[in-house]
Amino acid sequence: MRNDPIKYFFIWPALFVVLAISIFPLIYSLTTSFMSFRLVPPIPPRFVGLDNYTSLLANPRFWHVTLTTSIIAFISVAIQYVIGFGVALALHAKVPGEKLFRVAFLLPMLIAPVAVALIARQIFNPTQGPLNQFMTFLGFPNLPFLTQTYWSLGALITVEVWQWTPFIVLMLLAGLATLPDDVYEAASLENASSWRQFWDITFPMMLPISVAVVFIRLIESYKIIDTVFVLTGGGPGVSTETLTLFAYQEGFKKFNLGYTSALSFLFLIVITVIGVVYLAILKPYLAKHR
Amino acid sequence: MSTRTLKGAPRYFALLGIVFWALFTMFPLYWVIVTSFKTSLSVVGQATFIPFVDFEPSLQAWSELLSGERGEFFNNVIASTIIGLSSAVLATAIGAMAAYALVRFPFKVKLASGLAFFVVALGGYLLGYYVFGFSRAAAMMMAFAAALVVSLITNRLKVPGPIMGNEDIIFWFVSQRMFPPIVTAFALFLMYTEVGRMGFKLVDTYVGMVLAYIAFSLPIVVWLMRDFFAALPLEVEEAAMVDNVPSWRIFTGIVLPMSVPGLIATFMITLAFVWNEFLFALFLTNAKWQTLPILVAGQNSQRGDEWWSISAAALVAIIPMMIMAALLSRLMRSGLLLGAIK
Repeated sequence: MRNDPIKYFFIWPALFVVLAISIFPLIYSLTTSFMSFRLVPPIPPRFVGLDNYTSLLANPRFWHVTLTTSIIAFISVAIQYVIGFGVALALHAKVPGEKLFRVAFLLPMLIAPVAVALIARQIFNPTQGPLNQFMTFLGFPNLPFLTQTYWSLGALITVEVWQWTPFIVLMLLAGLATLPDDVYEAASLENASSWRQFWDITFPMMLPISVAVVFIRLIESYKIIDTVFVLTGGGPGVSTETLTLFAYQEGFKKFNLGYTSALSFLFLIVITVIGVVYLAILKPYLAKHR
Repeated sequence: MSTRTLKGAPRYFALLGIVFWALFTMFPLYWVIVTSFKTSLSVVGQATFIPFVDFEPSLQAWSELLSGERGEFFNNVIASTIIGLSSAVLATAIGAMAAYALVRFPFKVKLASGLAFFVVALGGYLLGYYVFGFSRAAAMMMAFAAALVVSLITNRLKVPGPIMGNEDIIFWFVSQRMFPPIVTAFALFLMYTEVGRMGFKLVDTYVGMVLAYIAFSLPIVVWLMRDFFAALPLEVEEAAMVDNVPSWRIFTGIVLPMSVPGLIATFMITLAFVWNEFLFALFLTNAKWQTLPILVAGQNSQRGDEWWSISAAALVAIIPMMIMAALLSRLMRSGLLLGAIK
């Protein structure tokens, strides 16, 4: 660590951009959230205190979108983690063709979510899509993948799993590469089965990175909009609407600016609460295994 | 290699699972490529899978798309490319500078000065707009300038309260990423609109989009580049310091050349994020600078069931990222990215 005034020249561009483009608008939007401020019909903004917040909290639609977003986030991240861990273990164990799989498995997470959703829309198409044809082949009736609430949620979760499991594989592979070999050698000498080795060595040692990866994915999943926007449009009705999509509808379709600002701050609070609770629950486990 | 290498039956179970996952991963990509060569004949009715066997492939969708018959398509590709490249370059440059500073130089920021920024920005804006009757944008700019000055002064003064070091500043940068983007996107939309009323248009402009994307990418750039810089050997820089080489020369002449792989990887990851970004583009553009994801999302409602042209449009958004994935995995195999991921 050395000291040199030039350090300010290095850090200020980044600091300035973040302060001007990320932080300052938040302060402005915070003031808006305490006002009744509409563009359509145009009424002059008026200070209403916490009215926007209380009416949001009393709005069943807000709780519904929070629940929907939570369902999508928690279930898809759980599935991603289980599959991702399995795939990472298999790749780490050098199954045949491992190098080829490593490249192929990276692809989904680099593709624009809107494009993924468009492809999914074709595949889930009830009459012309390959999935229903396959289901009919297996003897099922035509399934309403995008027009019925539970099937739509399932479709959204499938798309999320498809797109983001690679991220978990990537991170867990990096984690697996750092595990020391000697522990496993000792375990093999004592004839511990692979199953025991996984639960007694691999899983506990991978816990810190797992917690971090799941945390990142969970937070990111809460932001979901593009997939929903294209795949179901929030429908049928509003049954698959997520928090961000709800905010978009209020802000851009109804131009209810004060209300939307309040909604986005409530969203921030929801995310923060979930993050803090998640870390609080897992902290004891992390400390124990260190 | 290690004792963890599977043998016998479990190895084949693992292989089976992997192959199954590979099919699941690859099928949608295969499907979109195949569909882009279909015509209405081979889409309506039953799903068709294999070109030449199931259906007669045709270049109709591609020729329609490339000839511009289906509307302003090139415009979006160009907008996406220009915005993506410039914001990725600028974000990598600015973020790398900040990350280097945070790794090598000590910083101390008083919590009080952060609070001062918040209070002055909020109060200054309210005061300027409601009491002095400035326009919103003017009140905002004055409040921002005042908040910066006051927080800088507060940092020099002897004020009580906790002092944040480099680790805290890095955490603050990275935690921006945790924010739901809708909060920033909507707030930015409000602010850009107000600034636009003063005559300086930011919504649907190059400057507005690039600024938004730099701010959006900086957390991830700082996070990745910090690990690269921290892993560099200090000895070379120390030797240069003994020779009295100025710090900016050490940075541009020694540190940057040594971290080229890291810079490239960071640039590519940033580019991928910006290229695929949807929400900011949805809020902040409406015509001229609309990016590809918005066009692709629009295909859905405009085209109905014309899957062949939808697929071709989706592929235009996908293909550059496929090339990127190939390049990235090359970098990854040579172990260059490992440090950043850990």
